[in-house]
Amino acid sequence: MTETRQQQAELAGLAGVIERLAGELSLAEEPARFIAALEGEESAPPNA
Amino acid sequence: MREESLTAIAEAIRARRLSPVEAVERCLERVRKWDGRLRAFIRLDAEGALESARLLEAEAAAGRWRGPLHGVPVGFKDLCHLRGLPTSCGTSMPGYFVSSQECTAARRLLDAGAVSLGKLNMTELALGAFGDNAHHGDADNPWLAGHATGGSSSGSAAGVAAGFFAGAVGSDTGGSIRLPAACCGVVGLKPTYGRVSRAGAMALSWSMDHLGPLAWTARDVALMLQVMAGPDPADATASRRAVPDYLSGIDRGITGLRVGLPENYFFEGAAEEMVAGVRQAARQLEDLGARVSEIRLPDPRHMTDVAMLIARAESSALHAGVLRGHPEALQPAVRARLEMGLGISAHDYLQALRLRAKLTRALVGEVFDEVDVLLTPVIPEAPPALAPLKAATVEEFNARSGRFSRFTRPFNGYGLPALSVPCGFAAAGMPLAFQAVGRPFDEATLLRLGHAYQEAAGWHRRRPSL
Repeated sequence: MTETRQQQAELAGLAGVIERLAGELSLAEEPARFIAALEGEESAPPNA
Repeated sequence: MREESLTAIAEAIRARRLSPVEAVERCLERVRKWDGRLRAFIRLDAEGALESARLLEAEAAAGRWRGPLHGVPVGFKDLCHLRGLPTSCGTSMPGYFVSSQECTAARRLLDAGAVSLGKLNMTELALGAFGDNAHHGDADNPWLAGHATGGSSSGSAAGVAAGFFAGAVGSDTGGSIRLPAACCGVVGLKPTYGRVSRAGAMALSWSMDHLGPLAWTARDVALMLQVMAGPDPADATASRRAVPDYLSGIDRGITGLRVGLPENYFFEGAAEEMVAGVRQAARQLEDLGARVSEIRLPDPRHMTDVAMLIARAESSALHAGVLRGHPEALQPAVRARLEMGLGISAHDYLQALRLRAKLTRALVGEVFDEVDVLLTPVIPEAPPALAPLKAATVEEFNARSGRFSRFTRPFNGYGLPALSVPCGFAAAGMPLAFQAVGRPFDEATLLRLGHAYQEAAGWHRRRPSL
């Protein structure tokens, strides 16, 4: 595989953003809450 | 034929003013004349289409109607699996995608009486925003030769605009229905995540993929969605909620509808004529009774990054076989995008999925208390010329592709319904378009807005000079 320096930099940038934003996630946050948000099954995680 | 919408063709057939065979023959005549230039098809199935049309004609003569699309010619992006035709997914391998299950959305259209003209061009593996394809030829824009059709559902949009078929199915992982719809001057809908089953269609990113319709008008798209949408035991992500009647309220008008123009992100860096076109459309919506206001959104950049990381990770996992086994078979830009996903850690992928849930809840809660619909540009500029784009390095090309899809990608992350509607023309004669975004599963409001706008503005009555 030939990942270029630009690809590596883009990937590192994305990972950095995710890491920073994830610092604010509550323990109750999990992927399934995405579907719940669309289906209107909840307004906020219980310990948000 | 090319002057008529899908709805008009369906009505003409039902009223026996047009026969299914006549409808298909008129389309085939245009395909023969223009597809050498436009390259909307990967596999034209003229014989199959005529055979189906003859059968439907006999059934109509006997008073048997299969459904609301009886005899209407349509096309399917070549990632929808249908028995009897190979599914290349835009690769050099005719049978790249094999499925035991037919594409549910396509099958529902055929069961409602639609006639398949064949499988449509797309960017390789549905990766890419411009409509180029080294294996099957670059799809060309019907409005101006040598310009991007948008991608990845390039043939779906170009073929509708050219009058090759009345409606088409596309897929949208970061904008792949809305970008080509905008570039080719037709209407395209990315429904809510889960509204339309994705069973039997090649996946690029199971968290971001959506199937949806393209056609000339919002009413056409409503009719197609009516048939395509709904629960499907073959797709666990398909929503079980009932499908509303999208057509019954479409003529109701938009008096009192609250339309929000984002203050941040969605107009930043867009070309002046695109911004002017969308703002002019907002004024026309106001004239039709909508209440238009500015609204500040939770920063969409966060969801853009989250959606990008999830899509990259999932697409490289899904297509690891070709990436590791036959990387030389892929276009360099496609290979580079897939390779990037190999470097994403499980930790980052899972955090991104958790963030997606949080960001979606925040947007839905904060924005749709204040407005009913968001209005943004679809593309930041009119469709660009393709040759200079292709002359760029792989890195430059992919960066440009990312910038071109920056207004559509966030809504794949949020999973919200988003409708692309033509709203005029740039100085060079290329289409402009707005994107209307609504609450989860509220496609009906978007279609009502799109229909009211089209009836008033009339852009959909223009056709490319083919």
